Amino acid sequence: MKYAFFAGCLIPAREPQYENSVKKIAPRLGIELVEMEGTNCCAPFSIQSLDYTSWLALAARNLCKAEEMGLNIVTLCNDCYESLLMTNTILKENKETKDRVNQILADVGLEFKGKTDVKIFSDVLYEDVGLEKVKDSVKRPFTGLRVAVQPGCHLSKPKRLHFEQWRGITALDELVEATGAKSVPYERKEACCGGPLRGVNDEVALHVAKQKLDSIKSAGVSCIVTVCPFCFIELDMGQIEIKRHMNEEYGLPVLSFAELLRVAMGMDLEDWELKAHRIPITGILGMTEAK
Amino acid sequence: MHEVANTPRGRGVLACIQCGRCTNSCPVSRVEKEHNPRKLMEMIILGLRSEVIGEQLPWYCLSCFTCLDRCPQGGDVGEVMFALRNLTVREGKIPEGILAQAQSLFDNGRVVTASRMASIQREKYGLGKEPTVDVEAVQKILVKTQFDKLINKGKRSL
Repeated sequence: MKYAFFAGCLIPAREPQYENSVKKIAPRLGIELVEMEGTNCCAPFSIQSLDYTSWLALAARNLCKAEEMGLNIVTLCNDCYESLLMTNTILKENKETKDRVNQILADVGLEFKGKTDVKIFSDVLYEDVGLEKVKDSVKRPFTGLRVAVQPGCHLSKPKRLHFEQWRGITALDELVEATGAKSVPYERKEACCGGPLRGVNDEVALHVAKQKLDSIKSAGVSCIVTVCPFCFIELDMGQIEIKRHMNEEYGLPVLSFAELLRVAMGMDLEDWELKAHRIPITGILGMTEAK
Repeated sequence: MHEVANTPRGRGVLACIQCGRCTNSCPVSRVEKEHNPRKLMEMIILGLRSEVIGEQLPWYCLSCFTCLDRCPQGGDVGEVMFALRNLTVREGKIPEGILAQAQSLFDNGRVVTASRMASIQREKYGLGKEPTVDVEAVQKILVKTQFDKLINKGKRSL
């Protein structure tokens, strides 16, 4: 299983520990991630808000790079996923738009042909590797660990882009349970973390995060597991900010799914990776048992 | 209304029946009463252009797409928000945080640039250098789509 690996900009720059765990677990599951060179920003929400055509052209340029490699493109970030998936869908379905974008891309020597599919890493685990193989790779299960899964909006919304209803959520729940943990239902699970409003309206962003954390806390869980790097920042660092500004403390560790699986596979996180979490996660990591 | 409906992401406004499911499902509306997607749709339908285009309201939207899934009409409210922001930006109104991201995109080919700490960590822990970015190609594209002019217009209105 070979993929063009689109790391995006947030994860390599701000969350290298997330990327590291993905690169540690991938080879054990037979996944080969081929680095993409000379790509560009995926054109997330903020850029889409500025100009429609610029968005499509920038996102399409990345898709063309994957087409040149003859591979499907895999992302780690929900926002990259949404931008690339939506662009791929629009350009495959609408010839007029595709022609307009190709006129722009001709200037940089590229043409969108529609020959790549966009996947997020959890899709690769669920669909291509398969749940059974993921389960088999677990050597130290998190038996009984109560987890609140935070899928992040663009893993499963809008539904029409994600084929089966809520597949994104159920797939991630099943993956979490493959590590022996229990995915605990909670109210408004599909709700946003507030992250996209960071830098536009920090106060509202924090209130949205608080809403989410309140609901997670009342479900009685030990930690939050997500695949989205924005949700990670908003829910991890957000807890520090909420404590400072609203005097409310949650103490809920936040892990990426790749980190959870890596530890369950029997690989320890390194000291620098532990330190990347503002809410300490060491208490959670000791909750595994030998299989 | 047709100015919005004629943009690539604005068509959904034509389907709106003002039921309010978008507002009821919106995570921002729960904490910020200023943000009311149903009311925004109403203002577009009524043609209250100056109260919608160029204003802050569409920038409260998280693009979480909950409203897209809840709208019984397939009205794509969250998509219409993109249309409103695109029109607002053409009048030079860009929130400072977004403008900084746009400038970073033009200068570096990416919105988030590497931090020194991450570069040191990557080097030290064997992750290798960050993936390369083709800034020249990004700038060629953005000049062709006149994105650079949008940034400059936004800066002048700050």
